[in-house]
Amino acid sequence: MARLIKTEKEVEGRYSEQWVVVEDDDALDQWPQGPGAVVGKPATRQDGPQRARGQAIYTADLQLPGMLHAAVLRSPHARARAEKMDLSPALELPGVLGAIGPDDCHVLQSEPGYHGAPVAAVAADSFARAREALAAIEVEWEELEPLLDPEEAVRRESFVSDPRRYDRGDVEAGFAQADVIVEAEYRTQTVLHNSMETHQSVCRWEGDTLEVYISTQFIWGVRASIAEQLELPPDRVRVVCNYMGGGFGSKNSPGDYTYIAIALAGKTGRPVRCALTRREENLATGNRNATIQRLRAGARSDGTLVALDAEYVNAVGWTGWSGPTYGPLEMLYACDNVRTLTYGAKLNLPPNAAFRAPGFVEGTYGLECLLDELAARLELDPLALRRRNHADQDLEDGRPFSSKKLLECYDRAEEHWARRDEVRARSEGSVRRGTGLASQIWYGGGGPPSYAGVRVSSDGSATVLTAMQDIGTGTRTAMAQIAAEELGLPVERVRVSLGDSARGTYASVSAGSSTTPSMGPAVRAAAADAARQILEIAAQRFDLEQRVLSLRDGRVVSADGGSWPLEEITGLLEDAQITGRGSRGPNPAGMRVLTFGVQVADVAVDVETGEVTVERIAAIHDIGRVINPLGARSQVEGGIIQGVGHTLSEERMFDPASGTILTQTLDAYKLPTIADVPEIAVDFPDIPDEHLTNLGSKGLGEPPIVPTAAAIVNAIRDATGADVRSLPVSREEMLRALREAREREKKLATAPA
Amino acid sequence: MQLLRPDSVESATAELGNGSVALAGGTDLVPLLRDQIVEAETLVELRGVVPRGVREGGSRIGAGTTLAELELDQQIPQALREACSLAASPQLRSMGTIGGNLLQATRCWYWRLKFPCFLHGGNHCHARQGAHREHAVFGNERCASAHPSDPAAALLALGATLRTDRRELPLDELYRLPTEDDRDVTALEPGELILELDVPSPEASTYLKAMDRARFSFPLVGVGAARGSDGVRLALAGVAPIPWRLDAPDDLDRATPLPGTAFKVDLARPLIRRALEAVGA
Repeated sequence: MARLIKTEKEVEGRYSEQWVVVEDDDALDQWPQGPGAVVGKPATRQDGPQRARGQAIYTADLQLPGMLHAAVLRSPHARARAEKMDLSPALELPGVLGAIGPDDCHVLQSEPGYHGAPVAAVAADSFARAREALAAIEVEWEELEPLLDPEEAVRRESFVSDPRRYDRGDVEAGFAQADVIVEAEYRTQTVLHNSMETHQSVCRWEGDTLEVYISTQFIWGVRASIAEQLELPPDRVRVVCNYMGGGFGSKNSPGDYTYIAIALAGKTGRPVRCALTRREENLATGNRNATIQRLRAGARSDGTLVALDAEYVNAVGWTGWSGPTYGPLEMLYACDNVRTLTYGAKLNLPPNAAFRAPGFVEGTYGLECLLDELAARLELDPLALRRRNHADQDLEDGRPFSSKKLLECYDRAEEHWARRDEVRARSEGSVRRGTGLASQIWYGGGGPPSYAGVRVSSDGSATVLTAMQDIGTGTRTAMAQIAAEELGLPVERVRVSLGDSARGTYASVSAGSSTTPSMGPAVRAAAADAARQILEIAAQRFDLEQRVLSLRDGRVVSADGGSWPLEEITGLLEDAQITGRGSRGPNPAGMRVLTFGVQVADVAVDVETGEVTVERIAAIHDIGRVINPLGARSQVEGGIIQGVGHTLSEERMFDPASGTILTQTLDAYKLPTIADVPEIAVDFPDIPDEHLTNLGSKGLGEPPIVPTAAAIVNAIRDATGADVRSLPVSREEMLRALREAREREKKLATAPA
Repeated sequence: MQLLRPDSVESATAELGNGSVALAGGTDLVPLLRDQIVEAETLVELRGVVPRGVREGGSRIGAGTTLAELELDQQIPQALREACSLAASPQLRSMGTIGGNLLQATRCWYWRLKFPCFLHGGNHCHARQGAHREHAVFGNERCASAHPSDPAAALLALGATLRTDRRELPLDELYRLPTEDDRDVTALEPGELILELDVPSPEASTYLKAMDRARFSFPLVGVGAARGSDGVRLALAGVAPIPWRLDAPDDLDRATPLPGTAFKVDLARPLIRRALEAVGA
């Protein structure tokens, strides 16, 4: 029976109450800890060969008959007003079939607030012609003074939302008890997602239905947003995304480009592709915003934290949201007295967008560096300091954690941490080596609603049916493994059909590390439903009691020793099939569901040239049960590589006078290359969260990038004594920190005894 | 746009000028055309015209030789080999030629984004007051752009001479700072083609480079050093609008860094010391 329940839903720390309908699937016990026949064993990607051969059709590959190409005129100014705009010269050019301006589409702006804001767009029979036509659009701009400095924005109270204040305990009383107080200001830079596939969609009207082919992390969110914007019944919007080339948080919504494509498709009566160029990608598809973090920590001489005080400035941009930079400081350590104040500065700069653990990457850098500065002052081992302040329950309301294996992660980190004397000893000449660590906290529990179906065919193969998306994380494979485990099938006999809102059930967003924990339990429930039906049929066919039957190795197995190929049962149905359905149950009531971990970094720093080389990172993350150890390892490697770029080389820059974005191309915006990638050692406690769903799995999309910057910077301090306070650790920042450390040492040496 | 494929230097030079542009590896030219920084109706393909390959024991290099060929060539001086191997990425080095590399344009973002800057013929340098961490510490009074070529600094240190279709030109004289009257950073005449490079064999040479990531990045500072019978020659990449000769390491004290480029002087100091040690100076 379908049950209607009200449950708390969390996406990246934002909680809301929501009605969901769940099947009676709670009877499913979790599988025992440890690898099963399929789940918990490494599986290569089901779609790997298609991707490698170029057979996987991405939105970027899609060619519809009669399709036009859109090009977008973007604001050349950070703040300006279009006094006059004339689209007609563009329409006169060959091949141009449509042009739209601010009056035609709500995302086009006549008073743009950032460089790159969409102003107008044209559709033509080739992208080159569309782009040429942009130059013909006549715009008279009145340039206005841009606001670019986040501190100035705070002074002028230019905010995207009201400042956020948080208070727990009595911070001043806490500091009064402290034996040591450390204080520092940290800064993080703006970084860009730079997904391999740029943001894009192809939109087409088919009768009364709008088809949207889009590179997206959330098929159903895109559907809902477009239906609402266009005032269409949701079922008249079909959203398709079979393969996509990355999103990292920046592809959760339709985006300006989709509304532009829809408007131009309406205007021209033709399918329209709006695909952003790499430069547009680096201008106007969101970013991890810069932050300023003024932090203060007080501790007793044994390391017990007694007070944490923080002021954060999120340099959000023209629109966007002020993210939880405060999250780690409020949530990670057992400190009774905590106060934070967070500003979300509204600036004439491109809007931010969620970017792989938004806020927590930035906040963890500040907090975990401060903690190491504290450890140095107290002459305590940084790992011991973290153990001492371990939080046993949620600090906000005392709720228990559904599971927390952070201490186990610390235990597993010991072997990597213990190498630090040996690492330091390998210093030679101007190259100093050191080791640093940082803890990780993040969400990742997923939640309802999510639904899936499983179809078992007469040949004994199965298909998982759900309109979810695989954003490149290997979701297809993980879902196939879960269904295969439940159906007693080899994973090769399970396919996953996803990516089309017209051909599958509602599925959750692939954000907030939620895909596996949200979708996995629904897939398992659907597979279990199909398995139950198969056994019921088998019992009748073979005249046996259902309870003695099970599914294993592609066979129906009886407790008395008999076994039959699955096809003997499913074949009875000929072309018809057995279908199971499943839903994601609620998260455990009254519990906090979070992921935890620790990373240990080894670095080498040339103290003369400021060159930093990350030599090794060991990553241990508690995400409950691991479905696919191979896929999980890839996730961790990807997160760490992205973290290395964030730490060492990536920075979006703008002209301080005009607000023009300067780093639009990949020579100027420096992503890491393979030569920057360290040795990466990956480990998981792999202990199912006994309270979380029928699976016990949490998400892993975001955790691996959370502690990387702090671990690297702490390793730099261990190697050199220098306090890096600003990301990226460019040559100038490293040389500055080294100079400051030398001067500090000199002062100490010359100070009167 | 049309592509011409002449089969002799004479026919190539005859085609150049009047809005046509020479095309070698295209790794810089094609993006500049795409961005409409260079406008051309006609491209004159130089493959088949300009010599390619290393001759005479490594002392004569065809301008059409790719960086990928040079980085592996044991005959040429070490500084040039290292500069080539530290430049760009394997894909780009497979296309980019040494002649084209010497003539590549600055990576200054203001120039690349077509700000009406001094180098584009305007009246001031946007980088001097703006974002300029990648910019110049020498010769930066009017234009603070940085010359991006690694091989150019190595060849300057080596004392290379160019042979063009019309003259011999010491590399020292190829480059000159942009002036009020002429914003070009090279002394090549319109349509003049670099055909070969004469590279003296040093007793020892090296090229060291500091960049923002381990590979595939333009130099923050590159240091070429070559020791010959007449002493040591030093040249730097990434520190001035043109590859920059230093008469002596102390010349670094005469740098005129901008606030955001002062670190380049600190960075150059140990690299120069190491380069000198490496060549046994």
